[in-house]
Amino acid sequence: MFQYIVKRILWLFPVLLGVTFIVFTIMYLSPGDPVTMVLGEGATQEQYEAMRRQMGLDRHFIEQFFRYIRNVFIDFDLGRSYVSGRVVLDEILTRLPNTLKLSTWSILIASLIGIPMGVVSATRPYSKIDNVVMFISLLGVSMPTFWQALLLIILFTSTLGWLPATGFSNWQQMIMPVFALASSSIGSIARITRSSMMDVLDQDYIRTAKAKGVGDSTVTFHHALRNALIPVVTIIGLQFGALLGGAVLTETVFSINGIGTLMVNAIRTRDTMIVQGGVLFIAFIFTLVNLCVDILYAYIDPRIKTSYD
Amino acid sequence: MKNRKTRGFLLLLTGALFLGACGTGDGDSASGSSSPDPNVLVVATGADPVTLDIHQTNDQATSRVARQIYETLIKQTNDLELVPGLATDWEEVEENIYEFILREDVVFHNGEPLTASDVAYTLHRATESPSISHIIGSVDPETIEVIDDHTIRIGTHDSFGPFLTHLAHPAVGILSEVAVEEAGEDYGINSVVGTGPFEFTEWVTGSQLTLERFSDHWDDVDGVERIEFRTITDSSVRLIELESGTVDIAYDISPSDNSTVEENDDLTLLNTENLGTEYLGFNLQNDTPLQEVGVREAIAHAIDVESIIETVHMGIGTPMSGPINELVFGFNGDLEATPYDMDLAKELLADAGYPDGGFSLSLYVGDNNQERIRVSQIVSEALAELGITVEVHQMEWGAFLDATALGEADMFLLGWTTITTDADYGLHPLFHSSNFGESGNRSFYHNEEVDELLEAARYTSEQGEREVYYHTVQEIINSDVPWVYLQTRENVSGVRNWVQGFEHHPTGSYFLNVVSKN
Repeated sequence: MFQYIVKRILWLFPVLLGVTFIVFTIMYLSPGDPVTMVLGEGATQEQYEAMRRQMGLDRHFIEQFFRYIRNVFIDFDLGRSYVSGRVVLDEILTRLPNTLKLSTWSILIASLIGIPMGVVSATRPYSKIDNVVMFISLLGVSMPTFWQALLLIILFTSTLGWLPATGFSNWQQMIMPVFALASSSIGSIARITRSSMMDVLDQDYIRTAKAKGVGDSTVTFHHALRNALIPVVTIIGLQFGALLGGAVLTETVFSINGIGTLMVNAIRTRDTMIVQGGVLFIAFIFTLVNLCVDILYAYIDPRIKTSYD
Repeated sequence: MKNRKTRGFLLLLTGALFLGACGTGDGDSASGSSSPDPNVLVVATGADPVTLDIHQTNDQATSRVARQIYETLIKQTNDLELVPGLATDWEEVEENIYEFILREDVVFHNGEPLTASDVAYTLHRATESPSISHIIGSVDPETIEVIDDHTIRIGTHDSFGPFLTHLAHPAVGILSEVAVEEAGEDYGINSVVGTGPFEFTEWVTGSQLTLERFSDHWDDVDGVERIEFRTITDSSVRLIELESGTVDIAYDISPSDNSTVEENDDLTLLNTENLGTEYLGFNLQNDTPLQEVGVREAIAHAIDVESIIETVHMGIGTPMSGPINELVFGFNGDLEATPYDMDLAKELLADAGYPDGGFSLSLYVGDNNQERIRVSQIVSEALAELGITVEVHQMEWGAFLDATALGEADMFLLGWTTITTDADYGLHPLFHSSNFGESGNRSFYHNEEVDELLEAARYTSEQGEREVYYHTVQEIINSDVPWVYLQTRENVSGVRNWVQGFEHHPTGSYFLNVVSKN
């Protein structure tokens, strides 16, 4: 197991190198000129060329790429924003706590609600409660997050005046964004839990356990749920990774200063240094989350642990 | 039994969540009825400043904050009058060289007194900055001469007409040499020092920026003690925060929300004309019928600008009669807006050799402006009546700027703000043939006479003479029709009624030192 973890961590470097190359190339090839975005209009050709030199964009693609690789992987320097001149790592770290808080609470709430919903549905398939749960899940997955967010603001801020519409520094400010973001994950988790549980509940060993007189709750939670958890953990891991990459719409509507808004603004202004640094950072965290999910598999299913050893 | 347990658990969970959501009635920050703190002004803006190093950027979000922190040698009032700022007096002592006398009672926020060497340092640094040197580009660094602590001479490369107006631009605020050198690359991020009425306190990027009133400011004006700029990108949310009383002023109210503000007894809608213009640009270089002036005239008559103002901008703005608006120095008031006349448009098109249209044109529009996207649909429908097929390309903003600079679009929707308030900045980048592409002339418009007149007006200091040149330039441009003029732009803010003294500046960067609350 230990060897497996070390091997996975070592894999990080080629993954990050590949990600850097892809993002660097996409930013290089995509239309939109960072110099124009920084200077705005009205600058003369000489001023334009001067800025291009200052940003190092007059050099060949290969030279720019290797210079960046050297800075990142040897000097551990993600550079400075083209637009604001801020240190890229500082920009990311300033926003990371908000993004972490938002994604962690959302995924926690989504799991706490989604898994029981899926279990209830699976144990009473095609009943009224199953239909209600599946309808709520479908609603959660289908409703656009920004729309839900605006509805929440209209209800809880405009009409009732109970919750602040923006910010993310206290628990009152956190309720609406966390709930808006969690609702689509609740749907996904509930649906995956239901189908996975139904598969497991059909297995012979469940029938055997029931025939031996084991209680319903023991069968459901001890025998079935644990074995049904692998796809659920996978979807939770994937959703969490995606949320870390930035819940852009939620962050925008609630004015939360997170990674998502940072990245979108950087893409709009062609702030290549922020985009590259941000994607690299997200890829790093995503890989770590995937690693944790893989390790969790081993604890959920002892057969997987054996295969690692 | 088990069913009941599960149901009970779910009910409990739902109840807990609901109570959690409801149990915050005491949160005073959300309460619409909470009394405002009279010393703190909360301003909701749509964008975060890029940096508070004013030589590194030229965006409005930065100017709006920088206006409170930095001061310029010459100040431009809300009526666009040039009055003394940090300089009490100035005169042209030699040809193209001005002498400025500085106030003696000015100190920077770091306690250092303002001296002429700070002014010299600022101007040298500004001329070297690619981001703003086009604003101060006329200053010749070789001519800057410190006479004594409070006297400085500044010269221009040639006789540059709008020189004094350019010195009043927020990007030319005076910096402290000591503070900038000490902070190095971090200047404008953690260290921000000016002489203005408010000093920089804290900046949580993307979220909130706080300024405190500077107690040693030379001009003793009553007003709020603290300003909090809160970045709220979504205009609907800015409005909700204004309605609930958690912000005092919300900048850039969306046209569709104007009536909501007007109908609210606690709020006032402030809308005043600014220096911006909206236009439909033609590409005169592409091999299309747009090369015929008759076709361009026909299109200009086919677009109903009044109806665009009413339906898209909810009545905000007036039809333009030329490329600059009446607030800009050099505006030609004798010109008239092109009237909407579909019959005349069809006639003009037939005269140009296209009786039933029968050709297609591409129209590019950026995806960051909902109003322009709606205008693109209206233009498309209007031109369909002439038999012209319009392919609308809605593009990401950066890609849009790139494509139009490269001349890929046949037509494009764009705007321009004459931030310096002088026709030089409103016409030269857009119509001089040396500025093709990303410098501003995306129509690739080339007229020798216009080039000569623009240069003559730029390098003349006699304002009456300059005005005549600009009037002629506008007449020629109007007859060449490189653009269809749409409407003037307006600054629109929502203000709580407890706010006193807030006024718009046409540049969109407002002076908040005189604002108070009751």
